[in-house]
Amino acid sequence: MKKFATYALVLALSGSALYTVIAAEKTAEPAQEQAAPAEPLVCFESRKGASEITQQDIKPGWPNVKCSPTTGAALWYGDPFEGTVPMGKMPLLDKIPEGHALVKPRSEKLALMPMCSTACHNGVGPQFTPPTLPKDKRPTPIPTMAAMVPDLQDLQHGRGRIWCMDCHHTTKRNMLVDNFGDPVSFDQPQLLCGKCHGDKMRDWRDGIHGKRIGEFTTGGKKRWFTCTECHNPHNVQDGNRNKGFVQLQPEPSPQLAKGMKDAKHELVHPVPH
Amino acid sequence: MTLSNTSLADPTREQSSECPVQPASADPSTAVLKTSRRDFLKTGGMLSMSSLMGTAALMTQSDDAHAAVEWAEHFQKNYRLMTDKEKDEARLRLEKRYSFEYGKQVSVDTTEAQPGVLMGYALNIRKCIGCRRCVHACVAENNQSRGKQRAGEKIEWIQVLRMERGKFDQEKMNHGYPEGLGIQVGGNAYTPAGQVLEGQYHYNPEKVPEEDANYMPIACMQCEKPPCVKVCPVRTTYREPDGVVVIDYNWCIGCRMCMGACPYWARRINVTNPVLPKEEMNPVTHYLGNRPRMRGVVEKCHWCLQRSRHNRYPACVEVCPVGARKFGNLLDPESEVSLILQRKNVFRLKAELNTFPKFFYFYD
Amino acid sequence: MLTSFVSDYVRYVLKGGTKFYAWMGSLAVLILGMLYVFYLQNTDGLIVTGMTSQIHDGLYFANLVFLVGVAAGAVTIVFPAYAYHHEGMHKVAVLGEMLAITAVIMVMMFVFAHMGRPDRLWHMVPPWGIYSFSSMLGWDVMVLNGYLILNIVCGFYYLWCKYTGNPLNKKWFMPVVWIAIVWALSIHTVTAFLISTMPARPMWFHSMMPIRFITTAFAAGPALIILIFLIVRKNTKFWVDDSAIKLLTTIVTWCLGIAIFLTLSEVVVELYARTEHANGLYYLMFGLHGLTKLVPWFWSAIVLMIGAFILFLIPSFRNDFTKLPIACAMAFAGIWIEKGMGLIVPGFIPTPIGEVTEYYPSFVEVMMTLGIWAFGFFILTILLKGAIGILLGDIKFGDSKTVAAAAK
Repeated sequence: MKKFATYALVLALSGSALYTVIAAEKTAEPAQEQAAPAEPLVCFESRKGASEITQQDIKPGWPNVKCSPTTGAALWYGDPFEGTVPMGKMPLLDKIPEGHALVKPRSEKLALMPMCSTACHNGVGPQFTPPTLPKDKRPTPIPTMAAMVPDLQDLQHGRGRIWCMDCHHTTKRNMLVDNFGDPVSFDQPQLLCGKCHGDKMRDWRDGIHGKRIGEFTTGGKKRWFTCTECHNPHNVQDGNRNKGFVQLQPEPSPQLAKGMKDAKHELVHPVPH
Repeated sequence: MTLSNTSLADPTREQSSECPVQPASADPSTAVLKTSRRDFLKTGGMLSMSSLMGTAALMTQSDDAHAAVEWAEHFQKNYRLMTDKEKDEARLRLEKRYSFEYGKQVSVDTTEAQPGVLMGYALNIRKCIGCRRCVHACVAENNQSRGKQRAGEKIEWIQVLRMERGKFDQEKMNHGYPEGLGIQVGGNAYTPAGQVLEGQYHYNPEKVPEEDANYMPIACMQCEKPPCVKVCPVRTTYREPDGVVVIDYNWCIGCRMCMGACPYWARRINVTNPVLPKEEMNPVTHYLGNRPRMRGVVEKCHWCLQRSRHNRYPACVEVCPVGARKFGNLLDPESEVSLILQRKNVFRLKAELNTFPKFFYFYD
Repeated sequence: MLTSFVSDYVRYVLKGGTKFYAWMGSLAVLILGMLYVFYLQNTDGLIVTGMTSQIHDGLYFANLVFLVGVAAGAVTIVFPAYAYHHEGMHKVAVLGEMLAITAVIMVMMFVFAHMGRPDRLWHMVPPWGIYSFSSMLGWDVMVLNGYLILNIVCGFYYLWCKYTGNPLNKKWFMPVVWIAIVWALSIHTVTAFLISTMPARPMWFHSMMPIRFITTAFAAGPALIILIFLIVRKNTKFWVDDSAIKLLTTIVTWCLGIAIFLTLSEVVVELYARTEHANGLYYLMFGLHGLTKLVPWFWSAIVLMIGAFILFLIPSFRNDFTKLPIACAMAFAGIWIEKGMGLIVPGFIPTPIGEVTEYYPSFVEVMMTLGIWAFGFFILTILLKGAIGILLGDIKFGDSKTVAAAAK
């Protein structure tokens, strides 16, 4: 009995000594993951081709945006108001304090458009009063222009009932146009889109449609996403999908629970049919 | 580290001398084993002492600097019962600990609920495309464990359910339902259509939204009558005055009753020490919100308290590319959530359970 | 006098033959294993078990629930002993209380194993912690502790009186016994309420749960007690009356029968309409989404329970004390499967929002469970040995024979 006990005691002591060493290792700092792989420095916000953000640090350790390593989409805003300008006057939005309604300007991105309007479509050249527009109200394909906006030929917006000049100003091609022929800034597309899409406009104005980031309180500082940041006006139909928003790549699925090799069982319905 | 202080050097030394020496027994069955009580006590004592000592040694921290802070933290009270001074002490302790662990200046906010604010949430299920960006934005903001090695190390508070659109086929019309039990009473009406909780969570198509699918994200509903709060034995989870159901992570005992009681599967348990790389840690935290948790405690969505108590939208709202998520103050009649409740067709999940969620689903 | 009681008791228990030491030694090895895996669980976390956020109650909770039943089952001895003045039972009532004490201790150990943070369990105890009146788990902890205290008081006071030769002070002893009897029912009812008050878990959310718990408890508990009594008969000089064992057999038979009937009624009700609420039961019986890990367990439990019931009904079988242990073991095993893993795990499949996952216990959980059962049997052996010694008169106050008495 004594022998057994002595052996057991020696075993327990050496075991304890061993365990202590292992414990010291185990209770050390949490497992260090490798540093995040090189993330794309530029990520898109709502859809590819619309607004983009370049990742940089505002403060040490505080980036302006965190991008998804899988899809390149913006996942998190460090500074929601970066690169914004005041929205400008909007009917029924005058109760918002000055500087609290912000948008990301698009007019800065219109590289070629000013050139278009000053060089050719400026209403000055040959007499253009009224402007000589194609009689059939279809865009005339000119080889140098056709490549610029590929969706021109078969405009996927309105099912053949609208054409370019319904939205674009005839002589100031860096502006949009309203029904009175007055120019509308590219930074305020809602004044144009809301002409036909009135209930969406009303919901957008109330914050129900579309997107706003920043402070959620009424009168708080918000960046409003304008129509064209989410919707491509030249291709809203996207074939027959009729969704108004293009398809995009999803983010990765959740981690499988312990004991599950894969998620194939999800494809089998519990109730057969 | 001391392991044992029992007298092990001399096994023949007597420990107890109260009992007289046992006389040799004439019983043949006891002749083989000449054990005495003394021996049993000694050996049993040595064994148990050494194993207890070993176990105790193993369970204490090996880092002394940590030990003092952890000791005070271990004995702190339930957050709601703390005085302001104690809350401040708790906050500073945590800031010190997190800053040390993550190598950057971490702030732990203790901002209380603002008066006149009752937070509410609305999600437009017609718009959701199932892109899961809300899931990952939440993770980017809220310091969840995100290890990839073992199952259970990656925690996400939002789950997006993919449901197929139902359809009815002429061929199956009069076949009766396929289950073999019982007398056939109907047709094949089993193709799921509409809002059923039979679907996929691990979908991974090339592009979303798919033609034949609907998507519905689910996270904590922040109920007005939360079943999780009712079953918590230590009152660590409770509803704050601005409507958010929060957890005091330092008080949670990890009994997981709340996880059983939640009808929306909103709560997650940290099955291990959280894996959170320093670069990915969000240093702006709230005590009841996104501060890093520890092994064995339950966590869940709290509508980004560290943001919403300072009037900012939660991370999921800000990132949704289609603007399906809406958040605001239910007591403010002009907030988008109030207007949605006034104008849109709004419903709650599992409304028959009378949990009165403040997370509404709507469609337009 | 108290110190001599304790020291006489301990000294009597420590003496034993080879078989005794071998038994206790092997239990001690399992207990050491339990301590090791408890350390693992408290440093690495519950990730070493098979539990996940989806299925977050597993083997520990299953055993916990089952053992509360066994603890409550001890009332099947105490009640006839005192309410019906059943002579045979009266002699062994204290042994039932010893089993109850052991079972409650095991339940508490399983609670420690189950918690995410057992180092914080003091949070439940006022004044340092908070007691929540709305929480069923809070009530469960309170009634379990109360039951433990009641049984310790009743059992050890009885043994004390036998030890000193003093008569029992029935003026306060009998009311405490009555309270303990009613309390026994309450511990298991509260445990049933723990899971049956959650509408999020449709498999458990029905009013049948408490009565199922009580009947299965009163079938499994006495089955175990019969086995223990037969072992006591064989290995000690203490003779348990035939009448006691026969009464327990009757209780097991009827309660097992009702339990099977309740299971059958649950199956019919759930599967008749086969709503989504029946998914948990369907997983248990036939598998769900092609996942079928628990299906063989369920059907073997059914076979065991119904087989045991039939065997119990046959007089020649149940009165033959060499064959009776088979039926008791079958009933015990069947109920353990069906009420333990077969009740707890399917409650989480699918999750309330429809995700289906599977669970199997890891090595850590199995080791911990074996260790806690070993610890329970360890304590039970000690308590029973001492109690039997006192009942036999081997341990008497001031008796020099106590010192020399050796139990086999």
